[in-house]
Amino acid sequence: MSGILVHLPEGNGDEAVTLRLGPGERARFGRGSAGTPVELRLGDETVSRLAGEIHATDDHWQLSNLSSTHAYLVENPEGAGEYLRVPPRRIGAPIPFEFSRVVLPSRRETPLCFQVFAPDHVYLDPHARGAGSWESRTMTAYSLDETATYFLVLVALCEPWLRDRSPAAVPTTPQVVARLRGHPACARLTPRAVSSHLDYLADEKLRIDLPDDAARADRRNGKREAVVGLALKFGIVREEHLALLPRPDAVEPGR
Amino acid sequence: MTHHPAFRGSDQELLPAGHRVGEWTVTEPIGEGGWATVYAARRAGGTTAAAGPDDTGGAADTVALKVLPTAGLAPRQARQVAEAARRETELARTAPHPRLVRLLDSLTLSAPDHPALDGAVVLVMERARGTLRDLLATGVDEDRGGRIIAGICEGLAHLHRSGWVHTDLKPENVLIGPDGEVRLSDFGLAVELTGTHGHCAPMGTPDYLPPERWKEPLGEHGIKIRSTADIWALGIVIHEVFAAGVPPFPGATPTARGAAAQQYAEGRADLRLAAAVPPFWRALAADCLAPTHAARAPHTAESLLARIRAHQAGHRPRRRRPRPRTALVALAACASAAVTAALWPDPGPAAHPSRVRVFNAERSCQDRADRDPRCSLGLAVDPLRPYTADNVVPTRVWHGDLLDADCQLPAGLPVIDEEDRTSTLWYRVHLPGPTTAWLPAVRTKDRPTLLRCP
Repeated sequence: MSGILVHLPEGNGDEAVTLRLGPGERARFGRGSAGTPVELRLGDETVSRLAGEIHATDDHWQLSNLSSTHAYLVENPEGAGEYLRVPPRRIGAPIPFEFSRVVLPSRRETPLCFQVFAPDHVYLDPHARGAGSWESRTMTAYSLDETATYFLVLVALCEPWLRDRSPAAVPTTPQVVARLRGHPACARLTPRAVSSHLDYLADEKLRIDLPDDAARADRRNGKREAVVGLALKFGIVREEHLALLPRPDAVEPGR
Repeated sequence: MTHHPAFRGSDQELLPAGHRVGEWTVTEPIGEGGWATVYAARRAGGTTAAAGPDDTGGAADTVALKVLPTAGLAPRQARQVAEAARRETELARTAPHPRLVRLLDSLTLSAPDHPALDGAVVLVMERARGTLRDLLATGVDEDRGGRIIAGICEGLAHLHRSGWVHTDLKPENVLIGPDGEVRLSDFGLAVELTGTHGHCAPMGTPDYLPPERWKEPLGEHGIKIRSTADIWALGIVIHEVFAAGVPPFPGATPTARGAAAQQYAEGRADLRLAAAVPPFWRALAADCLAPTHAARAPHTAESLLARIRAHQAGHRPRRRRPRPRTALVALAACASAAVTAALWPDPGPAAHPSRVRVFNAERSCQDRADRDPRCSLGLAVDPLRPYTADNVVPTRVWHGDLLDADCQLPAGLPVIDEEDRTSTLWYRVHLPGPTTAWLPAVRTKDRPTLLRCP
């Protein structure tokens, strides 16, 4: 249980901010002022000084809407339009998504939003069985959502090994984008998104240990190879997962 | 979530009763784990000459078969299963100990009629009476709990001394042997250390993982693991044993409890152990649950065991019987009197003395007639005083002995037997010579109708 990650992208009236909250920790958000300090500053005049609070708890997080007039939306970017509405003055609404985009009303053209990642969600192992309580089962300590885009990216990266187990090169980011294009959830997947999924897998889900001395470019390749190597070694991705990928013949020729 | 029925269906197949595995015949499935199904089995062909006087009674004729199927698994998973089986056999071979479950044999299953099981690895192990988890469900008193924790510590101390870490200690993996003593089991994830640490696959049971584990990076060989991981798990188990199975960290799910443990380890919450845990054990659990590896390191299984031994020596004078096992346990609480009344309904008074046959719940003692001191049972001088060395008559009795009982005491000191039955009923019995002594009713199956003792 490592907690959650809150990311405020650049351009919400301030520079980008990333906060890591351990279980039980809180972060306030809003316009802020000398008298009302906030951890996440949203420099927009439509936002209250203290607009709300995020509280990391259990394997998820809670959103308190401290505005007395505006509802906030929490969208699941991978949920095909799935969202929650948190009404004004609602305290501690539990948020079930692993990925969330919190959208606050704004008069600007682009909505005011920030992201929250909850990588601690736990899934039972697919082969788990047993008559006893699931609570006391031995399981893989890193559970991945096999319906998430990051898992598709991981399977695509591991595919060459799973198909013929020859030491081939790990697919490049453009190759992954091309490979997944036929998947309904990945029609608009960008190379940049693939890179973020890879970072999320390596840094937040699998917490891969990479040597610090490698140069930046090597680091990215090293990370890609390390993710694939460990996912295969510890059975996180297996042959059966190939069924999640679009049929190979749907791939454009010349890949 | 996408399921793949083809990969799940085969998991469900079970060996039928009567299936022959090597020299064993399957009787029934008794448990399922992540990789394996465990069956009870008996020696094929019924009675053998094996049950000699030095044998552990009928116990050697019934075993547990841990079947780890590999067919239908992807090659990598099959390798993982084979690796888990290899670790279990390796550990059993290099570091056997009375507190570790005994591995009798390992073989490959031939079951052409059951393709999903054909070729499975089978580990033949001594049959246990049950798991600590089963026992927690029925309730464990302080004395019994203390002996169980001491047993776990003995097993862990041995493992750690031998350079292994269990990595998956939990009540499900603490078996209670036929003699009522602890047997640590399930070494499929056990890790042999090189120097101060080893590496293990990223597996575990969330409720028993130390807080640093959630942040430990995943390296090429897996996750770094040290013996303090077992000590943390031991702390959780100690709490569960003395708090009726309740884990020390609050939360409705293992993940919530994991988050609470994290909160404690990061100093944002205090450790709040249940008031039901007796002070000595609470202090011990708190040391096991020290928040970091460094803070936990001084509390080795060895040092914890020494503390437990000192505590037990200080509390209970040494029994006359040399066995480490306490056959009769004096309950500190008196609350069980009401239960006793229900268990042993008063049959009404009768005038005549009556014969009672001594019953020793220890099965290995039931078949032997050699009056081995280890199988002897004591009689109390005074059934109202604690059952300690100075309250035992010199005369010993054995299973099957007939004693003359002349009256009964319905509300003596509560006694619990190996089956965890509690009774406050005692019989006054005559011994050779003009003396009397007291036999607890749990030590006989007879229920004579006797007058209440004056």
